[in-house]
Amino acid sequence: MKIYILLIFNLFTYLLIAQEGKKVQFIGGARSILSTSDFTTDEKDTLTVGKTTGGYALIDLGIKINPNSRTEILGMFRINNAFGGFWGSDVTFGVRQLHVKGIAGKGIRYQLGNIDYKLSPYTCYNSNPDLILPSFGTTLIKEQIINYESFYKSNTWRQQGAAVDFVLDFSKNHDEIKFKSFLFRMNPSNKGLVFERLYGGGNVVFNHHKNLQIGANLASVFDVKETALTNDVYRNQVATLTYQYTHEFEKLKMELSGESGFSNTFSAEQKNTELKDYFIHVKGNTLIKKTGLLIEAGYMDNGADFRSAGAQSKRIDFTQQNSIYQRFTNNQILRPISYYDLYNDPTLYSIQFSTKLMGYNPAINNVLPYGLATFNRKGAYFSLNYSDKKERINTQLKYYRLAEIRGQGTQALRKFNYFVGSINFNPSAIFHWKKSQTVSLAMGYQETNRLSKLTLESIDLKSYTLNFGISCEIIDKLYLIGNSFLFKSNGNEILPIRDAKGTIINFETTKISGKEFCLSSGLKFEFSKEVYLSVFYERNTNSFIASNPYQFNQFQVVYFMKF
Amino acid sequence: MERILLLIIIAILLVGCRKEELKKIDGPLLSDLNGKFSVINNLKASIDSIDFKSNESMFFTAEFSKVSSWKLEIIGQKSGAIKEISGIGNKLTNLETAWDGSTTFFPIFQKEICTARLTFTGEKDTLLTTIKINQPKINPGFIVADFESPFNSGWSSFIQSGANMDFQIKSNNSAPQGEGYLNMAGTVDWDWLIGLINFKASAYGAKTFPLTSNPNNLFFNVLVWGEPSLTNSIVLFQFLEDENVDGSFSTNSEDMYSHQITINWTGWKLISIRYSDLQSLVNGSPAAASGNGVFEPNKLMQINMLHLANPSSGFAKSKLDYLIFTENKPLQP
Repeated sequence: MKIYILLIFNLFTYLLIAQEGKKVQFIGGARSILSTSDFTTDEKDTLTVGKTTGGYALIDLGIKINPNSRTEILGMFRINNAFGGFWGSDVTFGVRQLHVKGIAGKGIRYQLGNIDYKLSPYTCYNSNPDLILPSFGTTLIKEQIINYESFYKSNTWRQQGAAVDFVLDFSKNHDEIKFKSFLFRMNPSNKGLVFERLYGGGNVVFNHHKNLQIGANLASVFDVKETALTNDVYRNQVATLTYQYTHEFEKLKMELSGESGFSNTFSAEQKNTELKDYFIHVKGNTLIKKTGLLIEAGYMDNGADFRSAGAQSKRIDFTQQNSIYQRFTNNQILRPISYYDLYNDPTLYSIQFSTKLMGYNPAINNVLPYGLATFNRKGAYFSLNYSDKKERINTQLKYYRLAEIRGQGTQALRKFNYFVGSINFNPSAIFHWKKSQTVSLAMGYQETNRLSKLTLESIDLKSYTLNFGISCEIIDKLYLIGNSFLFKSNGNEILPIRDAKGTIINFETTKISGKEFCLSSGLKFEFSKEVYLSVFYERNTNSFIASNPYQFNQFQVVYFMKF
Repeated sequence: MERILLLIIIAILLVGCRKEELKKIDGPLLSDLNGKFSVINNLKASIDSIDFKSNESMFFTAEFSKVSSWKLEIIGQKSGAIKEISGIGNKLTNLETAWDGSTTFFPIFQKEICTARLTFTGEKDTLLTTIKINQPKINPGFIVADFESPFNSGWSSFIQSGANMDFQIKSNNSAPQGEGYLNMAGTVDWDWLIGLINFKASAYGAKTFPLTSNPNNLFFNVLVWGEPSLTNSIVLFQFLEDENVDGSFSTNSEDMYSHQITINWTGWKLISIRYSDLQSLVNGSPAAASGNGVFEPNKLMQINMLHLANPSSGFAKSKLDYLIFTENKPLQP
């Protein structure tokens, strides 16, 4: 026994010494949530347990080893204990992250294992088209948890495979060429009818004089032949050109940039379902240096048959069912995914992207349901960004005027108006208070119209989203936080029903009318920027199923830590 | 360099000036979908009679005024077998309705006349036609037992002496394939085992079954009956490999893989399993294989079929038919 104690002591001593030399570092995070919820509906419901209490504590412990100055090995493990479990019951262990990265030779950077990756907005890019407004207060806490759970970091997708990049530097003219390439495994073969599916590509970006950038990007999803008992391999190839030119004057900074390219999607044995199309996206912006005002205007034309799995995949597939209060009332009707679920249920979010078009909720985002790379959209947009140098006020406004390129079920085209804006006030900076005070307001408005002489083809849908939040430091590091979130939608849509290949085979007429309102407030104590404890209560009402409106109240204690 | 970029952007914009797409439409016309339903061309079979044994195939055609959700059922007038095909569209062509004699709901089609019935969701119209099967479909593969003949003398069996025991081949029109099936029933209140049959390769005139050596490409299929309101039957298949090809099986040094089926459904059901997905089981739990741990179907010398039930659960009953190995894909009867 003494020998074991000695061995453990020696191991810890070694790790502590190693920490000093930064050869071994511990990184990770910890989180604990305790919640009690109360679900009620006006309808008679003797089957749903209204009040539930639950929670968990988890720790993600990563060991980062640097065997030498050019290599890093990271392994992160998760231990999760649901409250109520005792002596090991309800405890799960898992591997959260594994990678090796380093520099080979004179500067070839490589990474193997779990990789968070993005390329360009039309090739490989994890957009967030469903949470259209920025989060503050309690919604910020929830979005932070979702992003951490699903590995969402600045629009990257979590992939498994290998990536390499390097730079050729021509120091004479400040020119350089950057090379990036990757190969990821999307799914393994089941030795039956499912192929080994890979995702590969890369880009070459040429930088000239620090003000001109031209890049060529390629991303391809492909099945490996002979890894299944069929020859019907799938391909989705996207090739694009990115460009950016910046010119600086004494009072202005101007930039012209964009991305254009094409895609080809097909199955080897079903050539009749092949989809080929192109897109153009050009934008220009001007920064007025004195005022900090940034004005931008852009034009986009995303072909109706343009498909890019890496850029058009959504974080949430709205065809899935809720995991919290999935059914309710004595008729056990399904509860559709609400905005409240988007903020509260990380299990709804997918980690990997999909080659199938995922389902969307037209009430939430009908204009760009698949992000900026949404197919069948053409039009212009305009935006204003203003940031006060003294950080007193910060605002972003954006307006899209788009239309379909090809009609769905009719020659009449949908037309879209989409406005999204947010404003942050910082009274502390205005009134020179020592303690931090922030008041934030964000608003989204979407309108879809399709005018037709035939009533059965007409569409008129309007949606409003509003998020108001406050964060007031009342005593040192203790904040009063609160949110008021409103989502309202009215009108009709005629949604396409697609087969497994994505071809429209039918339409479903949907009438939308409802309101969701969530009011929350609580306290948050910040031990540091990435360690906090928060206690809050929220009251959510939802009337999107007119015959069965429901109320979902929740009290939560959240402890969050990253180290 | 800046001029080059400008030229690139201008070129892209010029090339990208999209052609008019107003004449193109994604999906079926909404006006068609929501119009009045009427039959334009009645349901017709491409031929009057067919020999599926000779790999002949046929299809059905029909056309109607609007895109509709349709269901085509081909029903064997003698067997009661049903082939179901469904889809959405405004016509039926060989692309949607090609039929190779396969079955959706058991039993399997026989030499018989079939009625084809086409119905539409939300419409009252029903379209009918007939097709005669001269020869039913033959499923490629090695048949271990289809119970069309009496008990093979090369098989061995053990049946407990419980109450209401009935462990024998029966012949009537409830068989899912042909006319015979194995009936297994009885109450054994002291043991899990009700009865067993050992299907030995020697019964087919060889030391091992004539199977491929690739376990990923081989499927074992069996039709299993679930008795209404009884869910206590378990059927356990054991696959004994003679690794050293000495003509006998050694429990301690050779592999025995298993597949256990808990029967919790009613009626006939096709169970198919890839050979490489079989497991080495001890008392129903996965365990290390006793031999080399390599799936070697070409060395399979015996298949044991055990009908089991919890002794406290009372009377148990199930039926089996059409034990067949297929290559490349599971049985598509």
